[in-house]
Amino acid sequence: MDLSFVLLQFLTGLAYASSLFLLAVGLSLIFGALGIVNFAHGSFYMLGAYLLYWVVRGDPNGLWWGLVVVAALGFVIGAVTERLLLRPVYGRPEHYQILLTYALLLVIEDGVKLLFGAAYKSLGPPAALAVPVWVLGAPFPAYYFVQIALALGVALLLWVFLQRTRYGALVRAATQDREMLEALGVNVPRLLTVVFALGIGLATLGGAATLPMQTVSPGIAVEAVISAFIVVVVGGLGSVWGALLGAFLIGEIQAFGVLVLPEFSIAFVYLLMAVVLLVRPWGLLGRPPAVRT
Amino acid sequence: MKARGWLLLLLAALLALPWLLPGYALEVAIQALILALFATAFNFVFAETGLLSFGHAAFFGGGAYTTALLMQRAGWPYLLTLPAAVLAAALLALAIGFFSVRTSRIYFTMLTLAFAQLVWAVVHKWYDFTGGDNGITGLHPGALWGDARALYYLALVLFALGLTFVWRLHHAPFGYALRAIRDNPARAEAVGLSPFGYLLAAFTLSGALAGAAGFLQVAWQRSAFPDFLYWTKSAEAIIAAILGGAQALFGPALGSVVFVELGAFVQSRTEYWPLVLGLVLLALVLFLPQGLAGLGGGRARG
Repeated sequence: MDLSFVLLQFLTGLAYASSLFLLAVGLSLIFGALGIVNFAHGSFYMLGAYLLYWVVRGDPNGLWWGLVVVAALGFVIGAVTERLLLRPVYGRPEHYQILLTYALLLVIEDGVKLLFGAAYKSLGPPAALAVPVWVLGAPFPAYYFVQIALALGVALLLWVFLQRTRYGALVRAATQDREMLEALGVNVPRLLTVVFALGIGLATLGGAATLPMQTVSPGIAVEAVISAFIVVVVGGLGSVWGALLGAFLIGEIQAFGVLVLPEFSIAFVYLLMAVVLLVRPWGLLGRPPAVRT
Repeated sequence: MKARGWLLLLLAALLALPWLLPGYALEVAIQALILALFATAFNFVFAETGLLSFGHAAFFGGGAYTTALLMQRAGWPYLLTLPAAVLAAALLALAIGFFSVRTSRIYFTMLTLAFAQLVWAVVHKWYDFTGGDNGITGLHPGALWGDARALYYLALVLFALGLTFVWRLHHAPFGYALRAIRDNPARAEAVGLSPFGYLLAAFTLSGALAGAAGFLQVAWQRSAFPDFLYWTKSAEAIIAAILGGAQALFGPALGSVVFVELGAFVQSRTEYWPLVLGLVLLALVLFLPQGLAGLGGGRARG
C-alpha cells in the first residue's frame, strides 16, 4: 500500500463520513432536545435527494442553489411535521413516538414512489467538478471535496449557533431541563419546532448532497436510518460532536475495512459499536445518564 | 365462566377454520398465526419489562435459517429442526441481550436494532453458507407439512403453546419480578432481584419463541430469505403488538390478525400497502392509544 493509495482511501472515507455526519447530526439534535428517536430520519434524507432532483430538473449545474432550496424545503417540512404530528405525542410513552416516526417512514417511502416514481434517480456532479482532481498522482473525484467542505462548514455553523448565540444556548438548555426553560418564560414548543426543523433540514441537505455521486431509490431510507443510529450510538446520543466523531470513525473504518474484508467491512463498524458500548455505554462523547432507568 | 365459554368458542372456530376457508384465505390465516406467535414473543419482553426490542427479527430469522440450513445441508426432517431453531434463536438472544439489557430504554431499542442488523448483514453477504441475498429456496417440509391444513394446525399448536407459556410466566414469580424491575428498578434491586439476570432471561425466552415463529415461516414459504432478519420484520411484531394492545394477553395476536388480513386485502387492490399501513398507524397513535383491545373497554390481561 503506497502513500497515495492510503491517502485516497482516507479521503474517500472522509467523504462518506461527511454525508453520515449530515444525516446523523440532526437525529442526535432531535433526540437531545425532544427526546424522540426519529425512525423517519433516513426517509427525510432520501426525500432530500429526490427533492434536489426535482428542483434542478435533472440539471447537474443547478446543484448550488438546489442544495439551498432543498435545505429550506426540509426545514419547512420538518416544522410542519413537528407541529402536526409530533407535538401531540410528547407526553406519551416512547413506543408511541417510535411507532409514529415509523409510520412516517412508511408514508414518505410510498409518497416518494407516488410523486417521483420508483425508478432510481441519479444526477452527475456539476460540469466544473466533473473532472477528477489529481492527488499524489492518482485521480480523485473532485465532488468529494465539496461534500467534505459542506460537512465541515455545517459543523462549524452548528458550533457557532449552539455555543455563540442566545438561541443556541436555549437549545442546549432544552437538552438539560425543559421544564426549567419553560418556567423561565422561554417559548419551549417553538424551540422544539425549530430544533426538529433544523434536524430535518440537515438530513435533506445531506441526502441531496450525495445525489451527484450516488444513485438513489426510495429504499435507501431504511439503510440510512440504521447508519445514523450506529453513528449516534458510537458518538453519543444527543451530542453534536459525538455525531461528528462517530461519522468520522465509521466512514474511515468502512473505507479501510473494505481493503481487509471486502464482503464484511460492515462487521468492523459493528465491532466498533460493541466495543464502545462495553467501555462507554452512553457513547464516546455522550453524557452518562444521571439516573438509571 | 363466561370468559371460558368465549375461549372455547374461539378455540372451536380456530379448529374448524381450515375446513371453511378456501386455499388462499387459509394461507393468509397461517401467516397471521405465525405473526401472532412472533408478536406475542416480542410483546412478552415489551409488556413485562417495558423494554422495546427492535431486534427480534434476528431471532425470527435465526430460527428460520437454522431450520432451513439443517434441512438443506444435513437433510433433517422439518419437524426435528424445531428444537434446534428454538435453541439457536435463544442463544442469539442471549448474546445480543447480554450487551443490550444493561442499557437504558432508548439505547436498548437502538442496540437491539443495530445487533440484529449485524446478523442480517452477515446472512445477506455470506453466500457460501447462507446463500446470501438469494436465500435458501426449494425446501420440502415433507408431504404432511407441505399441506396447508397440517401446517395451519402446527402453527396453531405452537401459537397456543407460546401463548400459554407467556401467560404462565406472567403469573409466575418470574413475571412479578420482571414487573417489579420495570416499575421500580432501584427498589427491585434493594430487595435482592438482579435486574440484569431477570431481563436477560426474559429476553432469551422471548427470542426462543420468536425462533419458533421463524421455524414456521420456513414451511410456509418453503424458503428462508435475509428479509426475515431485516429490521422492518421486527417492526411488524411491534406494530402488531401495539395495534392490538400490548397490555392485553391476546392483544398481539389480535393485532397480527388485523395486520395480516388488512395487508392481504389492501395488497390485492394496490401496491401502496406501506402507505396505507403508515396512515393507519398515524391514526392509531394519534387517536387510539390503547390499541384495538382498548376499544373493548381496555381490560388488562387476566
